[in-house]
Amino acid sequence: MSAAIYAARKKLSVEIIADKFGGQTSLQPEVHNYPGFLDKDGLVLMQNMRSQVKNFGIDIKEVGQGIKSISSRQENGKEIFILEDKNGDTYEGKSVIVASGKKPKKLGIPGEEEFYNKGVTYCATCDAPLFGEKTVAVVGGGNSGLDSAMQLTKYAKKVYVLVRSDIAKGDQITQDKLKEIEVVEFIMNAEVQEIKGEKFVNKMIYKDKASGEEKELDVEGVFVNVGMIPNSDFLKGFCELNQWGEVVINPKTNATSHVGVFAAGDVTDILEKQTVIAAGEGAKAALQCYKWLASN
Amino acid sequence: MVNIYTTPTCVYCQMAKEFFKENNVSYQEHDVSSDAKAREEMINKSGQMGVPVIEVEGEIVIGFDKEKLMELLDIK
Repeated sequence: MSAAIYAARKKLSVEIIADKFGGQTSLQPEVHNYPGFLDKDGLVLMQNMRSQVKNFGIDIKEVGQGIKSISSRQENGKEIFILEDKNGDTYEGKSVIVASGKKPKKLGIPGEEEFYNKGVTYCATCDAPLFGEKTVAVVGGGNSGLDSAMQLTKYAKKVYVLVRSDIAKGDQITQDKLKEIEVVEFIMNAEVQEIKGEKFVNKMIYKDKASGEEKELDVEGVFVNVGMIPNSDFLKGFCELNQWGEVVINPKTNATSHVGVFAAGDVTDILEKQTVIAAGEGAKAALQCYKWLASN
Repeated sequence: MVNIYTTPTCVYCQMAKEFFKENNVSYQEHDVSSDAKAREEMINKSGQMGVPVIEVEGEIVIGFDKEKLMELLDIK
């Protein structure tokens, strides 16, 4: 969004191609650390950005399934980039700024795909209210897992939090709060093996890593919070990615290894993944992109 | 008649409602976080638990599928 705003201010012709508008920030019920933004609701922040972008006359193409591939062709000695979305539609440009963010990582276990939206979900903000008076499990002891558990305590009658190791990585303050809530039960050293059910989830199997024993939990909901992976599949072989699939950028210029392609925000190898940082990175990328276009 | 099943925290529910307002589509909202009957109804109709679920003249749309809604509501 910020890249588009900066690029539009430089009178570049811009189009935003997105899977869906909003991104991770729009799913945050409380944003307390975006300077100048007092509203707190992440969706409002993103809607404000969208209005700002629209005021510059920039079109946001929401293509649903995201970008499938990137390629290029030569025209008058210059490289023209071609993006193809998963519907087969193509978009061309003289430069590309990749700001595709991250998406929730999957567990990769049997039953996960089959029961997606049938008890398995990756978004407590979206789905927690559907689990009123039900027993649920949160997989993951990082901050997002703990946040999910916290949201679920408002609705569910029982919330198990399964953590892979013997300590949860999330903030101690949240852990302490959760431990005081009666419906919450932490299960440590738990490796989730399978999600089972009929029409909907009714069971989860996990291995107790301490004893090696396989155990069952009767749950109707499984909230998966085991980290995020960058939306960078389409760039494989086109730009350098690091071992986690993040786009490697020059931190000063946001240039990727492919000349003419820039990247910004959570999809890149910058160390801190924060809305305000991503916004700043987008602005940086757009200004560098403008300079590069002007000199080429 | 358009029915939309929502939760108060669901981002795509809010986007869908905004889309209806922009296009002057009247709709009836059912908050499945507080209305257990509506929740059952939504799960039975759609066979899943994700929100929003939108019903346009008996046809069920899961998620905020803008293109599908434009087609069903004849919006250009």
